[in-house]
Amino acid sequence: MGGGGGELRYEISQNAYIKLVLHSLKHKTSAVNGVFVGSSCDDVVQIIDSVPLFHNHLGLLPPLEISLIMIEEYYSARGLGIVGYFHANERSDDVELGSVAKNIGDHIYRYFPQAAILLLDNKKLEALPKGKDRLPVLQLYTRDASKNWKLAGSDGGCQLTTKEPAANAVLLDYISSKKWEDVVDFDDHLDDITKDWLNPGLFE
Amino acid sequence: MVTKTEETQLNRLESQVDNGGGGAWEYLCMVRKLKVRRSVKVLKHGLLILNDSKKRSSLGPEEWTLYEQVAVAAMDCQSLEVAKDCANALQKKFPESKRVGRLEAMLLEAKGSWGEAEKAYSSLLEDNPFDQVVHKRRVALAKAQGNLTGAIDLLNKYLETFMADHDAWRELAEIYISLQMYKQAAFCYEELILSQPTVPLYHLAYADVLYTLGGIENLLTAKKYYSSTIDLTGGKNTRALFGICLCTSAIAQLSKGRNKEDKDSPDLQSLATAALEREYKQRASDKLSVFTSGFKSLKVSS
Repeated sequence: MGGGGGELRYEISQNAYIKLVLHSLKHKTSAVNGVFVGSSCDDVVQIIDSVPLFHNHLGLLPPLEISLIMIEEYYSARGLGIVGYFHANERSDDVELGSVAKNIGDHIYRYFPQAAILLLDNKKLEALPKGKDRLPVLQLYTRDASKNWKLAGSDGGCQLTTKEPAANAVLLDYISSKKWEDVVDFDDHLDDITKDWLNPGLFE
Repeated sequence: MVTKTEETQLNRLESQVDNGGGGAWEYLCMVRKLKVRRSVKVLKHGLLILNDSKKRSSLGPEEWTLYEQVAVAAMDCQSLEVAKDCANALQKKFPESKRVGRLEAMLLEAKGSWGEAEKAYSSLLEDNPFDQVVHKRRVALAKAQGNLTGAIDLLNKYLETFMADHDAWRELAEIYISLQMYKQAAFCYEELILSQPTVPLYHLAYADVLYTLGGIENLLTAKKYYSSTIDLTGGKNTRALFGICLCTSAIAQLSKGRNKEDKDSPDLQSLATAALEREYKQRASDKLSVFTSGFKSLKVSS
């Protein structure tokens, strides 16, 4: 990543975005997390897909390691890798990036130096039905030179965009049809391996 | 804790009620008995009964139980008007009741009037220092304000008196985990294992915490507790089987060259991998190749 001048941009696909927001809505009363999968080219990280991870005990290592091994395995065969981490806090008015999220972000950063952490912004999510906001309801954190996770500045909105411009409208549609009930995460998979964390058919 | 059979039963009943097949009261009773959180459904179906005077009076004295149940569910759904109506009905019927007083304090909490709720709970505790529900509400109040250290202090104080409350130990462990205070979380699970040695869930959680702590001693102990989880579940616990694989590989990496303590590893490891492989082959064959290629690299050469 030798300088290059241009700032990194993140472009997230509609499905990757919606899947993880729905995951957090399925488990409204607990913290949830997930990973973003994609690739990078020049100064753009393209987020193609996502996998919902956990809704219990986010701070424990074994389930996380198991999931990352299998997710890496699956996507590397398709030329993709883990490029970011998604986190939603337990309390809806909690806008801080906690230490568990930062640690997992650090872990992903070790393998992918342009990794980002995307924190669910509940305020923006709640305001969606009222406004016409086209930007994802996520806060973008990137690692700075001193290895701290930093919230992208007020112009950070442009650093993170959805690939499909109508993603928020589609998200609202899915919310009103209670699509979140169908999202399967890795916790579900470890409790019953017939549950598929790839969520095939979720958007069909 | 809710067993698998109970959960299936509850879900079946829930979809029956949802689809107009009747059984709403039975469903609400079951939710109460199992102490599960299905607030949206409880509010919907409970309110239908309460608003129908014929149905309501047919419940007899149970009517008041339903008012209380719906009030709490309504608070959880932020339907504060409904909650208030229910609390008022109860207040009229039982003007001196502490239980109704508790409900009114909870209403303050649901409104986000933290200070007033705290005051109300404190005064309820002065009257009855052994009201467990109120103690727990105070913990929840601290949590709702993001005051996790406060919640920890309250829970520890509570557990000095109510040592046998397993749910409280679990809650404390979970808060510790969220703060990455793994040693303290491990202590909670030790308490739980001591008091209920045959609950596999505690063995598994303890092993997970020890693995997260890391270090050769903890990893060796974690492996033992993954093994006991497998033992207690008749080999049916996927997480524990995976745990064995992770432990063995981590132990092998840490003790390269001086691998004496862990002689049984290769055997246990291949048994766990084989069990998982069988599970995937039979029940999730599309993930079999991801599993085998992912966990083959973890295998320790014996």
